[in-house]
Amino acid sequence: MRATVTKFLLVPVLMLFLTVSRADDAVVLVTGSEGPLSDISSLDTRKAYLGIAVPVGDNTLRPFRRGKDERLNLIFLQSVIAMSRRSYERRLLSMMLKFGTPRPVEVDSHEELVERLSKNRYGIAYMWKADADADARVKIIRVLWQER
Amino acid sequence: MTHIRRAQSADWQLSVRLCALLLLIVLASHQVARAESQHDVLAFLSIEGFDMFSASDPELEGFDGRATADFLYTYNSDRFRVLAEYIWSDTESELERMQAAWVVDEKTTLWFGRFHTISNYWTTEYHHGQYMQTSISRPGLEEWEDESGPMPSHITGAWLEHEFSLREQSALNVGLSAGIAPKFEGQHLQPFDVLNPTSGHDLAVSTRFVYRPDVFSNNQVGMTISHNDIAVVSASSPELSDLSSITQTTVGLFTNWSWRDWRFASNFVYFDVDLAYTSGEVDDQFFLGYVQAEYAATDDWTVFARTEFGDGEDGSTYLRLLPAVIAHRQMLGVRWDFADSHGLTLEIADTSRQGDDFEHDHFKELRFQWSAVFP
Repeated sequence: MRATVTKFLLVPVLMLFLTVSRADDAVVLVTGSEGPLSDISSLDTRKAYLGIAVPVGDNTLRPFRRGKDERLNLIFLQSVIAMSRRSYERRLLSMMLKFGTPRPVEVDSHEELVERLSKNRYGIAYMWKADADADARVKIIRVLWQER
Repeated sequence: MTHIRRAQSADWQLSVRLCALLLLIVLASHQVARAESQHDVLAFLSIEGFDMFSASDPELEGFDGRATADFLYTYNSDRFRVLAEYIWSDTESELERMQAAWVVDEKTTLWFGRFHTISNYWTTEYHHGQYMQTSISRPGLEEWEDESGPMPSHITGAWLEHEFSLREQSALNVGLSAGIAPKFEGQHLQPFDVLNPTSGHDLAVSTRFVYRPDVFSNNQVGMTISHNDIAVVSASSPELSDLSSITQTTVGLFTNWSWRDWRFASNFVYFDVDLAYTSGEVDDQFFLGYVQAEYAATDDWTVFARTEFGDGEDGSTYLRLLPAVIAHRQMLGVRWDFADSHGLTLEIADTSRQGDDFEHDHFKELRFQWSAVFP
């Protein structure tokens, strides 16, 4: 009985601890540190990730996605794209099926993502602010989401 | 036999040349813009079973099944795009689309090749991606040519698409296409075969206007206009023996609108068909349409219904040439989406098929399907 009560008490305490530990979390939009991009609006970010071409001079924004980080992707879809994961994937599939529009390339690791951004001067990606701060090969364009 | 071998050899050579040309184009553009190029492949898979019941005609009854794999390949570089779609099933194996585009700017694309005609709303929305459409069946109005569809589905030619940006993220898309139309052979339209370019086809011209109040959503209303000169293979059927050509003009209004958990899709098409018989011309006018409503009961479950109807279609001389065309259908269905990209669907329908002469074939349909997309 006592063990059960302890478990019930531990769960909310643990959740509170996790919430507090992530109070400084933020998701940022980044590009390669050598790239020419300096300011991309939230609207253009949303367009680029929805398969709508966003011109920058004579070039087009090239969005990259980060796979294997469920929380990061969930935050990005909710706060920037404003769609459920299924609706978003269907939208990208539909654009590809109808017009051959390329889907944002999805990469599995931070290292691969940074490599892609280094090679694509007009490439953009989203990542945790802590990861961006720790890597000199990327620069932050804007904060997309901040834990309150 | 020698003639057949020669023809097969010529087809094979032409096929090899077309593939080599495509490969060269892709490789050349890949070299020009190596850093920006991107290849994508999708596979739409489905397995479907359908049963037909008829109290009036036992010959219509029967169970059948179909397994289908639809492969989509796209290549993109800065100003160049390739799209190819190949469908394989136990009843057909066909290169559905093979098109290349010059991306003039971010708002304008000029396509060349074989593509699905822009005047068919459903076709240009879902193509052969069975997983993408909520229902299993397509409306009879939007059926493929070899399924007795009344309008051309495949055009070989050029297609210009431009988007005009309007206020507050709304847009007007304008499309214009011109190319080689299908011909009428046997009991259905037969699209132009790029491997047999001397097969005798005429011209098809289409235009489409689509207004989207918000480019971030799929809501849209649109209008299509098409004019198709359809050559007739008179020797292919006794019904066509004294018919030399068909001129078809269509005007359609379509919409796709979502509101909260509801989605509505509809298309209404007016047909003006001139049939040139040796004894004189027949002017045939009729109207076909459908409305499909969908309700997302939960994130995974969708209930849907569709009604298909017409006016003047029962006495249409043109539709009499298409005995398998679906003239009326009242359909109900339910779909379960699971595991990210899989769907299970069940559909029941009360259906009327055109049939021979002016007598419709009446039957009930039961369909079930698994569909998915990979990766």
